Amino acid sequence: MLSHSPGPDAGEDVLAGRTARVDDCVKGAASAFLSGPGLPPFTIAAVGGYGRSELFPHSDVDVLVAVQSEEDLAAIKEPLAGFIRKLWDQGLRLSQSTRTIAECCRLQDQNVELNISLLDLRFLYGDLNLFNDLQERAAQFYKRSGEKLAQALAELTRARHAKYNETIYHLEPNIKETPGGLRDLQFLRWLTQLIPAHEAIRESLAGLGAARSLLFALRVFLHEKSGRDNNLLSFEMQDDAARDLAGGLDPGEWMRFYFYCARDVWQAAARALEYTESLDSSLLRHFRDRRSRLSTTEYTVSRNRIFLRNIAESTYSPSSVLRLFTFVARHGIRLSWDAQRRLRVEAAGLAGKFAASPATWTSWNDLLSQPHAGLALREMQEAGILTASIPEWRSIDSLVVRDFYHRYTVDEHTLIAVEVIDRLATRENGTSKRLQELLREVEDIAILRFALLLHDIGKGTKPGDHVTGSLETALAIAARIGMPRSHEEIALLLIEHHLDLSSVMNGRDLADPATARYLASRARTLEYLRYLTLLTYADISAVNPTAMTPWRFEQLWRAYGAGQQQLTRELESDRIHDVQALPPEDRTPEVAKFLEGFPTRYLRTHTREEIARHQSLVRRAEEYGAAVEVTQQKGSFLATVLANDRPGLFASICGALASFGLNIVKAEAFANASGLALDQFRFTDPLHTLELNPTETDHLRKIVERVVLGAEDVKVLLKRRRQPPRQGHAARLAPIVRFNNEVSGVATLVEFVGEDRPGLLYDLAAAFSEAGCDIELVLIDTEAQKAIDVFYVTRAGAKLAGALEEQLKWSLTQAASSVNDARGFPA
Amino acid sequence: MKKIEAVIQPHKLDQVKEALKAIGVDGMTISEVRGHGRQKGHKEVYRGMEYDVDLLPKVKLELVIPDNRLDEITRTLVAAARTGKIGDGKVFVYDVADAIRIRNDDTGEAAL
Repeated sequence: MLSHSPGPDAGEDVLAGRTARVDDCVKGAASAFLSGPGLPPFTIAAVGGYGRSELFPHSDVDVLVAVQSEEDLAAIKEPLAGFIRKLWDQGLRLSQSTRTIAECCRLQDQNVELNISLLDLRFLYGDLNLFNDLQERAAQFYKRSGEKLAQALAELTRARHAKYNETIYHLEPNIKETPGGLRDLQFLRWLTQLIPAHEAIRESLAGLGAARSLLFALRVFLHEKSGRDNNLLSFEMQDDAARDLAGGLDPGEWMRFYFYCARDVWQAAARALEYTESLDSSLLRHFRDRRSRLSTTEYTVSRNRIFLRNIAESTYSPSSVLRLFTFVARHGIRLSWDAQRRLRVEAAGLAGKFAASPATWTSWNDLLSQPHAGLALREMQEAGILTASIPEWRSIDSLVVRDFYHRYTVDEHTLIAVEVIDRLATRENGTSKRLQELLREVEDIAILRFALLLHDIGKGTKPGDHVTGSLETALAIAARIGMPRSHEEIALLLIEHHLDLSSVMNGRDLADPATARYLASRARTLEYLRYLTLLTYADISAVNPTAMTPWRFEQLWRAYGAGQQQLTRELESDRIHDVQALPPEDRTPEVAKFLEGFPTRYLRTHTREEIARHQSLVRRAEEYGAAVEVTQQKGSFLATVLANDRPGLFASICGALASFGLNIVKAEAFANASGLALDQFRFTDPLHTLELNPTETDHLRKIVERVVLGAEDVKVLLKRRRQPPRQGHAARLAPIVRFNNEVSGVATLVEFVGEDRPGLLYDLAAAFSEAGCDIELVLIDTEAQKAIDVFYVTRAGAKLAGALEEQLKWSLTQAASSVNDARGFPA
Repeated sequence: MKKIEAVIQPHKLDQVKEALKAIGVDGMTISEVRGHGRQKGHKEVYRGMEYDVDLLPKVKLELVIPDNRLDEITRTLVAAARTGKIGDGKVFVYDVADAIRIRNDDTGEAAL
């Protein structure tokens, strides 16, 4: 890396030379205009970069003219004007200030820069005794006010970092102002003068020699190339700098070296900021200290930072490392500089541990499910752990891909995208409420974040075809960490189609049914479409801070809406008629008979193993008349029922589950061409009946089976059991019922949205049954307290007529609004 | 000189740009805008929540052209932007008093 750096003195020589020449000009002009009799005592000093003798080719020349009193200020005004004009005429961009000494050594709340500039005082001309007096008084001022100035400087630095989105990874960085640039170096240097007792800052600065050389040489280069005070390392300048300063190195590689140097400066500045802000004894600090109650036996939380109690324990294994970052992700607290430093030291060793025994999907899933997963991934990046745990990440580390729209390097873009999801997940002010709700409907946020983390990794592993590259890399990583097939499938689909919604938004007529069909075919299911929409939102938002305009958001939402309506429509209309989509070994007559007539959604939402399992249930159903399976999932249960379809079947199963006090959160029900109904219910157990009494699971299965076979009356079951108490809500959601006879050729689409409660689905299904309607297909979803139910319904084999719709609307609304009495009976 | 303002469907932008480029028109300003004509005022329903959709995303092109090309350019633009459905957009034509190129003080049509 150091071989890419220009020689240590390359920039310094130029700066020293220019400083000397400007000194001569200033002294010459002063001699001509400020040497006559009658002038009050004054001193001219170089300040800022000029004071440090670091005058870049086209930098401003900062001088201070100091006098003793206000009267002296007035007296020197006219001759000073001549002095200034002379220097401007000589082509110098002079930036002068004229002050009394007392003014210089007073804390300037509104002009901290003036106070700071005196740290770099250098005598040029005038009364040397006056200069010495100024210097001495300044020293006393800094001794008195050093800490306060340091804190003010830290605030300015934070504001500057925020202006550049707290990142060094800009594709075209301003090497002076951007984090990790020259201003951060100056910040460190000033801190060593303001709070000299803190040795660590001095040590950090001493270790930044290579970065300093690079930045200095680069700024000289930019000034000379541009002929002005230009500090922007544009793409063209990157090409020129790689050629002229690094012997023709590839610009992308050279920029990587730049970012590595900038990272060193940035990390040192971050550490210094942390220390400086710890000097603050304000209420904010006390608030931050409250978080120390989150400390554990492994980690100490202090001043809103995580310290490691035992580095060896925290880095013992891949899972212990991920446990640390899961803690970061759970609480949204960053690592202390010390913890970061220690982890960086261990990173190489950890890479070996991860290679030998990769962390499992369980550990990654835990981390990626937390509210602040994006922050954790960023901390991993800073500590070198992301590359240690995912070696492929190195290919996009500080990778510059030149693009008109993207503002950041590929890795930075990726991390920002994950952080966009964090902000939606934590419902941060200013984020879209529509997308917050959409995110709540997503089953597994960890899969979404996993897909986002890898969606552009192909830009490093397979430039030119990054989607394929990302897919290949994601597949390899998923296999390595033992990601379940069902999760892997979703992640790969998201990566494969991550550009689809963008391209539709920009290039297709969103009102055209063909566009909706296209989107439906790409997304395949409603669930995938939600994931894809959120991924697209995060991807666009991470391009640059202004990329996701309200305009673009509306286009994205319209695209989602078009796809959503089409997929809802296709639930009923798109049926399986042959098994060509299956692998050859699965295309048996048994399978064909089982699948024929099911919605194509069935194949898209169930794995091969699940389909095989359902088929085994078919054999039991043929023997006994019905087959019921109840299995436990993560945080919920899944009941699968196969039986001959009949009127009221769906309602009766809902009732059976409700009689156990179970709450259905998702459901699907459809029948194949042979009249075999496959109904699946995901439910929760608010009373913990099944969890506390394992035998009740089998009891439930038998009861459902008896209900399906007509051997138990579900109304009797419901009367016997007390309904669980309703959860308290701030406000009730009034039920909404909509009918649509256009979407399907054979059935009426009934959409219900209302407040969820245990037993709701039974009441709705019973209302359909009592009205003589047959439920052909159902898709049920629950989002927090809101039930969102889609039914395709017929009566006597036909769509519903207008009068029946009105009656049904009333019945469904009543069913949703019914209040149960203490026994659980309708009031 | 005339200034043309055209509000078109977003998905038609590439086609319009290509069509104008083919007849030698390269200079234009493009903005993302929202608005409505007769397409306005409908409601969309999503998960039981109603959203007013009265400002639809559109794209606005602005270009200043010589008088003698007005007919040719407007015809080309309209043909490329047309789908035949409500919501296609509109073209407005204004007189331009003068144009000045900032770099070298060219004025009038020489500045275009």
